[in-house]
Amino acid sequence: MSDSAPDRFRSDPTQVETDTRDARISGTDDRFNSKLRQAFGASPFILTKFDQFMNWVRGSSMFMLQFGIACCSIEMMHTYAVKHDLDRFGAGVPRASPRQADVIIVPGTIVSKFAPRMKRVYDQMPEPKFVVGMGSCTISGGPFQEGYNVVKGAEEVIPVDIHVPGCPPRPEALIYGVAKLQERIATGESSPVVVKPYELEEFGDLDRDEVVDQLAEEIDEDDLVMRYNWADSP
Amino acid sequence: MTGGDVVLQTTNATNATGAGVSRPPSAPLADSIAGMLGLDGVVGAVVGGLIGAFLIANVMLTTTAIAGPWAKRKITASFTDRIAVNRVGPFGLLIIVADSVRLLSKELIVPDGVDRPAWDLAPIVITFSALIGFAVIPFGSGLQLADPETGVVFVFAAASIASVGVVMAGYASNNKYSLLGGLRAIASNIAYEIPLIVTAASVVIFAGTLQMSEIVAVQRQPLVTVAGVTIPQWFAIVNPFAFALFTLANLAEIGRNPFDLPEAPTEIVAGFQTEYSSVYFVLLYLGEFIHIFLGGAIAATLFLGGPAGPVLPGFVWFYVKMWAFFLFTQWARSAVPRLRIDQFLDAGWKGMLVLSFANLALTAILVGVIV
Amino acid sequence: MSLEEPGPDADAAAVARAADEMEALVGEHVRSRDDHLNAPGYVVRPDAVQDVLGTLREEANLDHLSCVTAQEYEDRYESIYHLKSYDDPTHEASVVVPTPKDDPRSESAAPVFRTADWHEREAYDLVGVEYEDHPDLRRILLPETWQGHPLSLDYDQERPQIVPLREHANPLEDDQEGDEGETMYLNIGPHHPATHGVLHLKTTLDGEQVIDVDPDIGYLHRCEEQLCQKSTYRYQIMPYPDRWDYISAGLLNEWAYARAIEDMADIEVPEYAQVIRTMGAELCRIAAHMLAVGTFALDVYGDFTAIFMYAVRDREKVQNILEDLTGQRLMFNYFRLGGVVWDLPDPREEFFESIRDFLDHLPGSLEEYHDLISANEILQVRTVDTGVLPPEVAKSYGATGPVARGSGVDYDLRRDDPYGYYDELDWDVVTEDGMDNYSRLLVRLREVEESAKIIEQCVDLLEDWPTDDRTIQSNVPRTIRPDDDTEVYRAVEAAKGELGIYMRSDGTEQPARFKIRSPCFSNLQTLPEMSNGEYIPDLVASLGSLDIVLGEVDR
Repeated sequence: MSDSAPDRFRSDPTQVETDTRDARISGTDDRFNSKLRQAFGASPFILTKFDQFMNWVRGSSMFMLQFGIACCSIEMMHTYAVKHDLDRFGAGVPRASPRQADVIIVPGTIVSKFAPRMKRVYDQMPEPKFVVGMGSCTISGGPFQEGYNVVKGAEEVIPVDIHVPGCPPRPEALIYGVAKLQERIATGESSPVVVKPYELEEFGDLDRDEVVDQLAEEIDEDDLVMRYNWADSP
Repeated sequence: MTGGDVVLQTTNATNATGAGVSRPPSAPLADSIAGMLGLDGVVGAVVGGLIGAFLIANVMLTTTAIAGPWAKRKITASFTDRIAVNRVGPFGLLIIVADSVRLLSKELIVPDGVDRPAWDLAPIVITFSALIGFAVIPFGSGLQLADPETGVVFVFAAASIASVGVVMAGYASNNKYSLLGGLRAIASNIAYEIPLIVTAASVVIFAGTLQMSEIVAVQRQPLVTVAGVTIPQWFAIVNPFAFALFTLANLAEIGRNPFDLPEAPTEIVAGFQTEYSSVYFVLLYLGEFIHIFLGGAIAATLFLGGPAGPVLPGFVWFYVKMWAFFLFTQWARSAVPRLRIDQFLDAGWKGMLVLSFANLALTAILVGVIV
Repeated sequence: MSLEEPGPDADAAAVARAADEMEALVGEHVRSRDDHLNAPGYVVRPDAVQDVLGTLREEANLDHLSCVTAQEYEDRYESIYHLKSYDDPTHEASVVVPTPKDDPRSESAAPVFRTADWHEREAYDLVGVEYEDHPDLRRILLPETWQGHPLSLDYDQERPQIVPLREHANPLEDDQEGDEGETMYLNIGPHHPATHGVLHLKTTLDGEQVIDVDPDIGYLHRCEEQLCQKSTYRYQIMPYPDRWDYISAGLLNEWAYARAIEDMADIEVPEYAQVIRTMGAELCRIAAHMLAVGTFALDVYGDFTAIFMYAVRDREKVQNILEDLTGQRLMFNYFRLGGVVWDLPDPREEFFESIRDFLDHLPGSLEEYHDLISANEILQVRTVDTGVLPPEVAKSYGATGPVARGSGVDYDLRRDDPYGYYDELDWDVVTEDGMDNYSRLLVRLREVEESAKIIEQCVDLLEDWPTDDRTIQSNVPRTIRPDDDTEVYRAVEAAKGELGIYMRSDGTEQPARFKIRSPCFSNLQTLPEMSNGEYIPDLVASLGSLDIVLGEVDR
């Protein structure tokens, strides 16, 4: 016991730094390496500053996707508009094309028919991209959770960075959510790692079960499908 | 810069007196830079030209950078009772840095099935066609890159290359909305280019020259003197009708409201730019704004006396006139509904074209009678 | 509803006489009577639907097929056609068509009433009744691949489902093999800036002209009917109506449910509460119309321009007032059975002051709208004579609200089937004869003025209301169990038109069937009629002028 303790808890800080750095440079552990860092090797100062700068850039300015689903989109419009003016925070330019957007605010209930389309829109956005889930429906399905057709939260479909609760959240709450997102991005907290809870699959790849057999006639093998199991969802 | 000023003055003076005498194309800015560097001959022309082009291009790109992410938002906001960016830096000015760096650092998505060389070239064509147009624009204070005798023809030729770019973008994007945008761009450009150039031709008839610097020089002559104030012979004052026609056709040419059909958000998403992201989108965005400014620059040169104006140096006046035109486009964007494509083309072919030819004929007759 | 019963006995007798007259018209097909609270119900054979509906439309002037409700009983399926008259919406009849459990086939009403097309598709989709002779019987709200009919009795909600996403679906592909085709198929939506939410328009274009458009809905089908059927009458249902038409029209929607249940359970509403309801509802109407005007401008102007922002500014003012009144900005949940939840906020003078302040500024801002929008020549060029909807077509599709009134159909439930305090107040129904997008815009702008008139009168009334007579709620039992097998269909004039609720009780605290007749659902059906042959921008403008809310279309 007493022998292994110094190994597990290193008290010498320089030792720790060297180890971590060596692991990064040698490539045994490149989790913290950005592409630039991999390209330039270890010269932390400039790259750290550069990372900080990029985080500031991404946190200070964002184009939103002009994307309305349900009730919350009304409050979202109010957030863009006269009184609340989200553009003060550099986040008030709605772009109609997902190719030019950074942030998608998901304002409303997602139902089974829409979920794959939303996933598609999200996939069309260029990285780095962020998601603000607006309203209870994007957290759990909200008041409609027990519906036969309602997907229980946006996280079932796309990764969400910030949840803004409320039904619907007030514009102030949405502004707070966006500001929080900006703060997180600026401090480098928002993870660039994209978690994909589910993918759209091709129908031909699915395991044969009763439902798939029933649909085999109707759906083309190459069609994309979303498979959703209400019994397993939260 | 004072040296350049002198150069311009002298060239103008010689031109005004010796009109019609054939001489090699002058390049005031390049010449003065070469003069400052002590170079002459071919080397001087090349080095001076390159440095001059670099200067002008940077001035315009900076202007666009201010206009795109910041001024446009602020102007729109003040039309709509809002504040717009005010958190990042003083007056939100740092948003310019943030926006441009962020857009440039985004992932560049190349969608499946795009027509590759055309798709890549389109943004470059759009942006640079507009930038090339500035080569012959007399900014005043000696800032004019080249002053060929066919300046007016050159600037319109350069500006209309952009429609080729728009069509390329629309067609190559493999997106139906883009295609619609591209087709609209062709239709509108053909319909409105003709009235635009025919109206400009009326100015050329007045001035008797195609050279930009001379058109400016002609406008410097006094028209009337009222109560001690001399009103110069700006063509906007001489022929306000032509100016109105030109401004309208210009709006259509640069695709702004009420003629922003190639983009038309809410109808065809973002038109020809729908599929573009990251750097290419920046280029398209830049191209759009440079086009607005080029439109403003042409209008200022042909109708508003170019760099002329009291007290302040010519360059500043020219800049102000360009921005005034930019403000005008933003005002139209905030307040005027968009026309439908068929009405737009009707207005172009049946209205603008007829009026512009009428204007041309009238001008020709008047000039013929008076002179 | 104490206000609308001047002579109950004489009234009832007249109603009974009218019902018998109608029965005589279609007597040969009527198997029995199944009267609802609101109207006589005639049970007819499944193969006589077209005959009966046709006769009633021609002979009894029942020219408005308001709604089609399908439901499943233990022993049978049933489709109910709720008929009304555009001239007098209190002149109603229900045609009840039972079909056997093992073979739920019924004749379609689509050849008689075009609006039946979508209503029957919905019935097929959710309940599983099949309609013969229907032009295009497919699922409408749920994806085509859905397994089972969710509102049928034996539906298993836990069952996994697969939803396809066909990337480049092109229904015209078969017709246009090779390079022969001259048309282009374009998907507008479900994510598109002009669709006001998640509508999907399957559009076929010839150049820029629309030759065919097929609205595909169901991207916001939130199972509202199922959820209401799972909730208790007394408290749990009331929050849901706010979310049908979510553009601040909450109180108008709540009133639809309140009116239906108050009729069903025979609950009185105190007059004071009626006045508050009327005032709140009209404030909601102003807010909803403001957004309609703003987004219409957005569609025609193409950017978040001044008009949109001004409209939102005025909405903010209304929302502030409504927040003072109800405690919420959007989802008010303010009505209760037999009244409202609480009295006007204290201090009352301040509240009245804020309303009057808003009303004082309203004419000014309306003038601004008229200057900016309706007087703008480009806008007139864009909207006059586009999206034409003749009145007969509007009636056949069951269009109501500003859409019908913009086509010159003089139909407003507030006047024709009075409820609340409307018949005591002085206001006018706005109609325009233009039948085009411009008329619909004008109707909305002018209706704002009328609503302002109503609010002003309500404020006057409330200010002088005696302090000791301010009952906001009548005495309503804690649990409500209407009698078994009571059926009622009641409608109110919501922001978008006639919002109806059909409810059937089974003696428990929860409704056995809760059906929402949404005005947008019927109005949206007119879109192909208005847009075919026009240009894409006109399609977008027409869609904007219909002012649909997807939450209400899909429910």
